[in-house]
Amino acid sequence: MAKINPAFGKELKKYGAVNFNACYNCGNCTAVCSLSTEDVSFPREMVRLSALGLEDEITSSLKPWECYYCGECSTHCPQEANPGELMMSLRRWLTAKYDWTGLSGLMYKSLPATIVAFILTFAAVLVFAFMNNFNLDHIMHVGHLFEAIAIGTIMVVIFIPNIARMWYFTVLRGEDKVSVKKYFSSLGEFFVTMFVQKRALDCDDNRFRWFEHFILVLGYLSLLFTTVFLDWFSTPYLAVNIFGYLVSAIVFVVTIDFVGSRIKKKKALNKHSQPSDWFFVIWLFLMGFTAFFVRLFIDLDIIESNKWLYIIHFTVLVQWALIIVPFGKWTHFLYRSFAMYFAKLKEK
Amino acid sequence: MKEAIKNITYDALVIGAGIAGGEAALNLANNGYKVLLVDKELSVGGKMIMLSKVFPTLDCAACITTPKVSEISRHPNITIFTGSEVSNIRKISENEFTAKVTKHPRYVHVEDCTACQMCENACPVNVRDQYQFGLIGRKAAFIPFSICSPKAAAIDIDNCTLCGACEKACPTNCIDFTMEEEILNLHIKTVVVATGFKLFDAENMPRYGYGVYKNVITALQMERELAPTRPYNTILRPGDGKVPDKIAYVLCVGSRDASVGNPICSQICCMYSIKQAQLLMGALPMADVTIYYINIRSFGKGFEEFYQQAKGMGVNFVKGKIGKISEKEDGNLILRYEDINEGKLQEAEHDMVILSTGVLPNTGIEKFFENQTLSLDPFHFVGQTDALLSPAKTSIDGVFVAGTAIGPMDIPDTILSAGAASSEAISYLVEHP
Repeated sequence: MAKINPAFGKELKKYGAVNFNACYNCGNCTAVCSLSTEDVSFPREMVRLSALGLEDEITSSLKPWECYYCGECSTHCPQEANPGELMMSLRRWLTAKYDWTGLSGLMYKSLPATIVAFILTFAAVLVFAFMNNFNLDHIMHVGHLFEAIAIGTIMVVIFIPNIARMWYFTVLRGEDKVSVKKYFSSLGEFFVTMFVQKRALDCDDNRFRWFEHFILVLGYLSLLFTTVFLDWFSTPYLAVNIFGYLVSAIVFVVTIDFVGSRIKKKKALNKHSQPSDWFFVIWLFLMGFTAFFVRLFIDLDIIESNKWLYIIHFTVLVQWALIIVPFGKWTHFLYRSFAMYFAKLKEK
Repeated sequence: MKEAIKNITYDALVIGAGIAGGEAALNLANNGYKVLLVDKELSVGGKMIMLSKVFPTLDCAACITTPKVSEISRHPNITIFTGSEVSNIRKISENEFTAKVTKHPRYVHVEDCTACQMCENACPVNVRDQYQFGLIGRKAAFIPFSICSPKAAAIDIDNCTLCGACEKACPTNCIDFTMEEEILNLHIKTVVVATGFKLFDAENMPRYGYGVYKNVITALQMERELAPTRPYNTILRPGDGKVPDKIAYVLCVGSRDASVGNPICSQICCMYSIKQAQLLMGALPMADVTIYYINIRSFGKGFEEFYQQAKGMGVNFVKGKIGKISEKEDGNLILRYEDINEGKLQEAEHDMVILSTGVLPNTGIEKFFENQTLSLDPFHFVGQTDALLSPAKTSIDGVFVAGTAIGPMDIPDTILSAGAASSEAISYLVEHP
């Protein structure tokens, strides 16, 4: 027996939902959505579940992840109930729900908490640099090590348990048993979503946005690979060096457009940016930008006299790795991929 | 252009000669007041005279409008100016207004015209007929529609090539291209605003394809197809002239929709669609008729029974707003919607789609008034100072409002509203002799 919980709406507002209670159930949003199908119809169902506060149904649903937010539903909503933004806030809420530490929820709901976290990490970097007498070689060495260690630790401590929770909520707890064979045969969906986001191409008028995002993902992953595994900042190989410049430039150039469209607010999906959205795009930009100039300063041999640049880069890196990646918007990269994988598992 | 300025005096000015203005004028005239009834169209009768039948009684609209129209036309106390516009209304004293009436030239002397249609036959120009909502064409020299009043020809000077063929063909020499705009200075004691409404332009919702897909029409176009004076003499879809057998109604097109700027309910679309569905079931007994709705609002006397009657006749009601329409090669249409009762996205194929467009205010009415402000409501309909107790009073003392100028309403309510406005106007005239 479902229990109605009107307070849920208030909770969801903290995750960025706006006006979804205005919904009068016409189903226009579902009908204009180009991703909605007869078997998987949304977003009205999610609006309904949210208005009634049926948390269990929402937690077990993968539909919020099946939406790629073209914004058509919000543009054409006769009640201006903004279903697109509701789907976005449900993704934030689910991210918090999957996170066993509870820190995601705290960061999404409280901007001061996020700012405190950013200040603390900055202070820690400064203290660390001070303790090492601003010895740049050492700091850079630690910075490089930090990246590799942070990735591994966060994967084991945060992501694996969180994805296991997501798997439990959405697949395991469901009524249908999924065969082992299906877990293997559906893996393709996982990788396609992770690297190509093919599904987003079916969104209305989305070719350019999809392309930008695709390039950004490739650029970001390549930058990660170049700095961590190819040790870009101290590589002797010219090819690696040039590749590093290229991918870091891609990251910050593309993110300029992302930040710009959030400022311009022309499209429905850019109208209601939350702090988590801003942090994500701005820090991504800073990461590409500072990495690019750190390497440039190294090549020009002026990094020793401009230690501050690396300190900034290191701070951005630490904040990215310890705040945004495990508890911020970065996680959509994983959850979306797994959601499509799990959805494939549940298909009959 | 030389202006022939004449001064004329009446007790009351009624702006708009639709069913509300006509009714108000008649009530005033029957009480002995001299009324000037002005309409910008070429005929009186407004929108009602164009309709097929009326809900919930299924009376023939033409058959109940035309007697009223001829009563108005023949009344000794009523003067009718068609093709005319009112402006510059000034309140000059407690019970006195002045106004300017501009009579646009019809290029036909109405009193001499016998409506023989010989000018129509002679005219070489073909344009879309606005009185049939573009379903068919008309000539530039034309009689507006078969039951128009005054029944006389008019020249559509914007499309006329000035070939003179009509002039030669006219047996009574009533066509006169030297006619000029006439401006009259008017003295009146009271004003009734009965300017009616306009319908939402379906082209403002491109996802329904109106104007692009040939077999998507508006409900007013279907109204013409169903009327006794109908253009095709049967029900056809305009794309290829096929008799449709799977017809869909899309409700709330441009009403209850903030995304197109009109968040309010139009109050008539549910009922006129149900009415048309019943008429279609009568005209095409084998056809399937489906009405896609958000909520059916059958709130008036006999309305719910009328809705149930439609269900009983086999009209299919589906809860779900249509999201998009796409056209197939054969002219059929695919409607995409969420079936709310199932919670599932669905697509349905129909061979003809009727958009039940909503009611919008006629804008610019407040600009008729010069030294006083006619307040409007938040949706730009004429504002009522006391909607509950004096529904016909406006922000200007001595100016009253009737019918759909107030907001969306059906025909019975419009007649009631016109009655209220004329009573208020009569009281005002009695109090301010």
